Amino acid sequence: MNDRIVFENVSKFYGEVLGVNRVSFSIPPGITTLVGPNGSGKTTLMNLMTGLVQPSSGQISVLGIGPGDADAFFRMVGYCAQFDSFPRGLTGYQFLFDSLMLHGMADYDAFRLASEALERVRLTEAAGRRIAAYSKGMRQKIRLAQAIAHHPRVLVLDEPLNGLDPMARAESLALFEELGRQGMHLIISSHILDEVDRISDRVILITGGYLIAEGNIHQVRQEVRDKPMQVLVRCDKPELLASRMFSVNHCVEARLHGDGKGVFLRTADIDEFYRLLNDVAIEGLVKIEAVAPADDNANAIYNYLIGSDGGAS
Amino acid sequence: MSVYKHDYRAYSGRVTPIWARIGVLVRYGLAEALSSKITIGLFLAALIPFIVLLIQVYLANNPAARLLVSRNGLSWLEINSEYFLRALQLQCWFALPLMSWVAPRLITYDLADSALPILLSHPVSRFGYVLGKFIALFVSLASVTLLPCLVLFVYQCYFAPPGWTSANLSIAAGIVVGGTIWITLLSMLGLAFSSWVKWRTLATGVIFAAIFVPAGVGGIVTAVLRTKWGSLLNLPVMMTQLWQRLLGVPEMVRTGSDWSLPSTAILIMLLAACLVCVAMLNARIRAREVVRG
Repeated sequence: MNDRIVFENVSKFYGEVLGVNRVSFSIPPGITTLVGPNGSGKTTLMNLMTGLVQPSSGQISVLGIGPGDADAFFRMVGYCAQFDSFPRGLTGYQFLFDSLMLHGMADYDAFRLASEALERVRLTEAAGRRIAAYSKGMRQKIRLAQAIAHHPRVLVLDEPLNGLDPMARAESLALFEELGRQGMHLIISSHILDEVDRISDRVILITGGYLIAEGNIHQVRQEVRDKPMQVLVRCDKPELLASRMFSVNHCVEARLHGDGKGVFLRTADIDEFYRLLNDVAIEGLVKIEAVAPADDNANAIYNYLIGSDGGAS
Repeated sequence: MSVYKHDYRAYSGRVTPIWARIGVLVRYGLAEALSSKITIGLFLAALIPFIVLLIQVYLANNPAARLLVSRNGLSWLEINSEYFLRALQLQCWFALPLMSWVAPRLITYDLADSALPILLSHPVSRFGYVLGKFIALFVSLASVTLLPCLVLFVYQCYFAPPGWTSANLSIAAGIVVGGTIWITLLSMLGLAFSSWVKWRTLATGVIFAAIFVPAGVGGIVTAVLRTKWGSLLNLPVMMTQLWQRLLGVPEMVRTGSDWSLPSTAILIMLLAACLVCVAMLNARIRAREVVRG
């Protein structure tokens, strides 16, 4: 079976309004972050991926199955919508149980899977209460439970961390990471990029309905050649290191870390930079404790390629 | 980069057929409808004429009771096609307030709560969703129209002399066909208008308006232009004529003009109304929520 989510030249128009235009990509298993400003077409992309809307043109295939084969398609996809919306009057357990029944599970399986999903999001104790009485975080969790309860192979999560407290966010991220490692496809749209970035393998950047970049985060960052890479070097003599680095012309910016025990260096030639850093370390003038990329993440890529105004640069 | 263990197992157990999944939506719908005390009240109110009519059947078939009840003639106690037309009309018009109360609960809440994307992200199509809601509404309305009228027929068959049943089977068929047409139309109207009005109370009002405003316009057209065709906008008039023909009751004729509409014209109008409802539902029942963000 094909293990990729494939979009081929997909466009979606709502009347005369552009949703997404000529989008093509192929997503392997793992965690993919969908990044874009408000109105960029993220939700449209997710709706297309989950079969909730049909493309105006182009082909969509999720693990080799098109949305036309609705039964197989919907059973394979779990969707956690961004809207705080539920069928009225249901308890958390009823919501999951009925959702599983709608997926075609028999009574016993629906009971077992609903209990398992509640356990996974730690809502077992609140399962008998009406969702209307849940806190925002609990409602987010029950939505997540509904999305994973039927054991889908693809999980599409629209802003799944909204409304969660730090502890619940950490639990959710751990769950996403676990599912990603198990070989599931997770497509996550989130504004909390710092946290999602830690578990994400790939990034899809979209703005104005157009795909800006797609692929492994590190590879995408390296492709952004007009923005020199920034590296944080923790060391005992950051000023000395900065002056040494400035002696070569590929180093374009140096900024001391707030605690005075490191320096952010921006370089136009990352390979040459690391070679020089090796030399400095061997010379022994500066004791280097740690070296880490400072802008090799989805947040930085977002800022470089889309910018705070949401326009593609 | 993750290390993929590929030990995640998707659900591979047996799945139920599509009708069972639609059955879940029907259950949702009926539970939602019956969760209101007003719905229960309307159901009980619809029982009142049924009980009165049931007593009438008993009295009509009980010589002692007939003697006690009437000394001046027994014409009102006759159980014939006119009696069943009265029963069908009474019960069917009781179904209207019930429908206008229940229908918005079935769809308006889902729209107002943006629950459609969640429901439609399951292997249930838009058609399946609407069918589930339709069945829930149809069953609710059938329980105050078709069911009581058929119970009355069976009760009369039980009391009536041999031969009455076979001679009057056309009445039962008329009840089934006439009642089914009416509750199908009501269900379609209720679901269609509920899907366009997110405020439930307003939706109830709009449903009533959708039936009686065209009827008023039709009445004006009939009066001003002196034509019977204005009645094609008048649902109560159309249904009354249709029921009369289905149950074999002689039609009343207005003095001076033939106001009777051809059955084909009535059926075409009802079909057109249903198609408009389908178009309205098709336009509104969508999974997408276009939110720029």
